[in-house]
Amino acid sequence: MRAGLTEKLRPEVIAYYHEKFFPTPVIGVTGGKGGVGKTTVAVNIACALAEMGHKVALVDADVDAPDAGILLGMALENAVDVFITMPLIDESKCNSCGACVKVCRLNALFLLKDKAPLLLGTCNGCEACLLVCETNAIDRGQKAVGTTYKKTRGNLTLYTGELIPSLEESANVVEKLKGRVFQDAADFDIILVDTSPGAHCNVIKALQGSDSVITVTEPTPLGAHDFALILKLLDIFELKGAAFLNRADLPSPRSEIERIAREHNISFAAKVDRDDLLIKSYVSGNPIVTMFPEAASAITFVRLAHEIAREHLT
Amino acid sequence: MKLCITSTGKKIEANIDTTFGRSPYFLIVDTESNATEAIENTAATQGHGAGIAAAQFLVDKGVDGVLTGYVGPNAFKAFQASGIKLFVGASSRDTVKEALAKFKKGDYNEAPVPPEVPPCGPGRGRGLGRGPGWGRGRCGRD
Repeated sequence: MRAGLTEKLRPEVIAYYHEKFFPTPVIGVTGGKGGVGKTTVAVNIACALAEMGHKVALVDADVDAPDAGILLGMALENAVDVFITMPLIDESKCNSCGACVKVCRLNALFLLKDKAPLLLGTCNGCEACLLVCETNAIDRGQKAVGTTYKKTRGNLTLYTGELIPSLEESANVVEKLKGRVFQDAADFDIILVDTSPGAHCNVIKALQGSDSVITVTEPTPLGAHDFALILKLLDIFELKGAAFLNRADLPSPRSEIERIAREHNISFAAKVDRDDLLIKSYVSGNPIVTMFPEAASAITFVRLAHEIAREHLT
Repeated sequence: MKLCITSTGKKIEANIDTTFGRSPYFLIVDTESNATEAIENTAATQGHGAGIAAAQFLVDKGVDGVLTGYVGPNAFKAFQASGIKLFVGASSRDTVKEALAKFKKGDYNEAPVPPEVPPCGPGRGRGLGRGPGWGRGRCGRD
């Protein structure tokens, strides 16, 4: 049997993953497939909630390609750099015990007899070496991996994370971005987190602490394939929520999508057909709920926002 | 000399594995007595840093040299730091035994050590070209 997605997580890991130190509800928006409409859904629900008078934090956690700011026509401001730890080894304190070399899962450290270890490989900043060093010979050096931003307009505050291109530490940037938002949680009635595509560390970190997750998909073979993957991930982390069927009128059978949804015991909270006004709003950088509030999709987004408010904001 | 040869199997009749860090076995041969020890390379299945982990293992084991196909940049740095002699260019078509015989004949040169100047520093290269020209003359036919 393959390890990974089929493994069951220990209850304490699940409990830690769901742990939250504030009462503000957190809603994740994900979907597996790229281009399925995650950001459109997140942005429009966030705007609808803000227009209803709620203080909303919208988190663009797609740090490899953050673009919610573009859809909202909001410039990125209040930059805070994100760093990860790089071990700085003090040769005068090192006793060459080799504990750091053994503990490094990336085998990044190399030790010659009676010398201090050398950092030769890739370090992801996990700090295990610092924890095991008995002589405290390892200090926290820093490596910049990205930036987070915060910008407020009316009731809506956009938090965006951005990874430095070519680096692989996207999950670290997501984690720091979430930390920044969660620290401000008391300022908001609700927090919405828009994830990257895929079903890996970035998405796992982005959905951490979510009370509910909206999974966006479309009735295509690609949509179905990635829908199954992301629902598997949600099952593993015991994340509950509803599905959102985008482009529901595409001329392809829905049976597969519906079968997958049944298999994972998830229902469709909304279905939105293709809509020229939605595309118009998309290319003009204005959410449809404010640009064309009478459009069918805008009405659906507002209805969803009301449902979310009823369930989470009393 | 205690020489580590990267191998696909535990016997010296096994073929060479040309990757260093991910080669399944290390055959450690005493080049004077021909005494051979086969060791499974536990670094081979590591997700990251197999080359560094394998080099670490060989440093701890006290080998003097490594004969393999090629090594990655991180393992190369590890060998440079350790002083273990590195011989590359072994072929997967050869058995460990054949490669050892070639090694003893001096067929493999020690892998070149980059000069001790920063990578962006001024170059010190000098051409070694001594080959004959490729012109073939026109034989008075024009």
